[in-house]
Amino acid sequence: MINYHKPKKIGISILRRWTLIFLLGEILFFGLVGTNYISLNNLQDILVASTTVLLLATGETFVIITGGIDLSVGFMVGFSSVICAKVMVNLETAGFSQVAAISIGVLAALLLGLIPGFINGFLVAKLRVPSFIATFGMYGIAYGFAEIICNNIPVHNLPSSLGTLGHGYLFYWLPGKIFSFLNKPGNLTRDELKHLIVIIPNVVVITFIFIAIFAFILAKTKFGQHTYAIGGNINAAERAGVNVKTHLIKVYMISSFFASLAGVMYVLQYITGRAPAGSARLLDAITAVVIGGASLYGGKGTIIGTVIGALIISVLEIGLVNLSIPTYNLYIAVACILIFAVLIDQFSPELIQKEEEI
Amino acid sequence: MKKFIITLLLICLGLSFIAMAGVAKQLKFAFMPGIADPFYFTMEKGAKAKAAELGVELIVGEYPKAWGPEYQVPILKALVARGDIDLLFTAPTSVEALIPVLKEISDSGIPVITVDTYIGDGDYTKPSNYNFPLAFIGTDNFLGGEVVAGQLALLLGGKGKVFLENTNPDVSSVMGRELGFRAGLKIFPDMELVGVEYCLDIQETAVAQVGAALQKNPDLAGVFGVNVFSAQGAYQAVVSAGLGGAVKIATWDATETLIEALKRKELNLILAQMPAEIGSLAVEWGFKHLTEGAEIPKKVIPGFFVFTQENVNDPEAQQYIYK
Repeated sequence: MINYHKPKKIGISILRRWTLIFLLGEILFFGLVGTNYISLNNLQDILVASTTVLLLATGETFVIITGGIDLSVGFMVGFSSVICAKVMVNLETAGFSQVAAISIGVLAALLLGLIPGFINGFLVAKLRVPSFIATFGMYGIAYGFAEIICNNIPVHNLPSSLGTLGHGYLFYWLPGKIFSFLNKPGNLTRDELKHLIVIIPNVVVITFIFIAIFAFILAKTKFGQHTYAIGGNINAAERAGVNVKTHLIKVYMISSFFASLAGVMYVLQYITGRAPAGSARLLDAITAVVIGGASLYGGKGTIIGTVIGALIISVLEIGLVNLSIPTYNLYIAVACILIFAVLIDQFSPELIQKEEEI
Repeated sequence: MKKFIITLLLICLGLSFIAMAGVAKQLKFAFMPGIADPFYFTMEKGAKAKAAELGVELIVGEYPKAWGPEYQVPILKALVARGDIDLLFTAPTSVEALIPVLKEISDSGIPVITVDTYIGDGDYTKPSNYNFPLAFIGTDNFLGGEVVAGQLALLLGGKGKVFLENTNPDVSSVMGRELGFRAGLKIFPDMELVGVEYCLDIQETAVAQVGAALQKNPDLAGVFGVNVFSAQGAYQAVVSAGLGGAVKIATWDATETLIEALKRKELNLILAQMPAEIGSLAVEWGFKHLTEGAEIPKKVIPGFFVFTQENVNDPEAQQYIYK
């Protein structure tokens, strides 16, 4: 009896972890077929390339779990990148030190970035505007304001030390000679630079610190439980004493906070602020959340799933470049994975139920 | 089982041959274009032809679907991470954002040549944090802008209001065209530049901006669209305002689309760069540098060709069309 059902049980547990297995399979495939795909540099580049999607998707996970959607995040990245860059430039020309200009710029972008989130939440929770419409409106407003603030021109002449931070690494290692933390060793010869091993990009560290904090909040705290409760059944949550309206506003603010953070990271990486920054990543972010197992009907989803979903996309993206395959194939591949993810989401409850019956 | 082991051995043998063939390796150059458009396709063709001639393997990075560092940098990094590249030539999509990225690549031992666009102010001879590329190979956009201003003035009889439809304010090439155009117009006291807009490579935006300029200046006599998107947008705006033919349109880059438009008399003037030449020069100089240690000039500038409605069908002009 047990032996007969064992393969089925294995099948179901594979199905439950299919995204992780798929991700590892992807890496293995590109590792075998590609050139130097599994190398420290390339794997780090994949993580750097996916920071925007990872951040947007983390915030989006909260919103999607409540049964809503946040479309504003696409242009929120550009909005906050422009604010961040503009504040830095103005403060530096006003005579502030670079450190002060950078920190105030970052803080300003993160704080102002909360406002659109608050408005989104207010519209959705208090005025009952469908989240699709409220955030789609904010999508346009954020873009328009960003273009106005930067006068339709990417922001220039940012503090020079930004690049050191955005393109820096946690560790620099010259085998046998130098091991340095955060500071890139100076005075290296050309040959030494060639052999310098850089480990863990700063932007990836910052990204994952925030993702970890909010993964903890979602999984282990009352706030997280309430988020799931609202998505599962909003009326039941209300009857159970959850302050649904305030909670929803907070959720939308989390989402716009992550979008602003992505904008700040954009400034760190590209040393400029542009209004259209990040807009191309909106759908990737939503795709990542859905591949990661969240349901657009609400009540389901995890940050870890979302992270895996985002990585599946960027591993594929970089892999196709490595193999010199036109990126247009990426759209097809990602679309197929997305639909596959939703199908699994539809049918797995039945399978898991059957497993429990056994 | 025996068969299996034999097959396995044969595969190993085959692989080691491939690996050995790899040791006696040919040079591998990488080309990272700025955006998917005919200008860079033509550059790739020129580079490929030269690479085949010199026995260099050319790997071309994925063409970014839009203009901007956030599209180009991930592809560029993935391209370089292959780790088997001897030289990179690329069109940086931002004068500032690409400095640290290309610096890292250059530091890792891969010489960098920038083509068409440059980093910083493009002067790699003076001390700066962006003087590490071997060379900039590309058009003198300032000079080209001046040429366009002169030719447009010629078409308009030396007087009238003109409008400039540009694309991206942080891209060295198109800003050079703008500055050159402004400088060129100064020579003609009766020519007036009434406005400059940036369409960010979106044709619809160009239509709207030129349309608005026409509303504001009904007597507008000429428009300079700095690339394919801005020129075609300008043409659509002029036509929908019912001014087709009355407003002269000058543009840049002899793509087949624009040449066709010139033949249909929708445009009046096209300044052609020589992208195939640029690609070919990048490969040639890179090859000379790596094999003979040749010192490359820090700036290599190919010339122009001016297409008009009169000469567009001439046999000797055909070679300058981007194909």
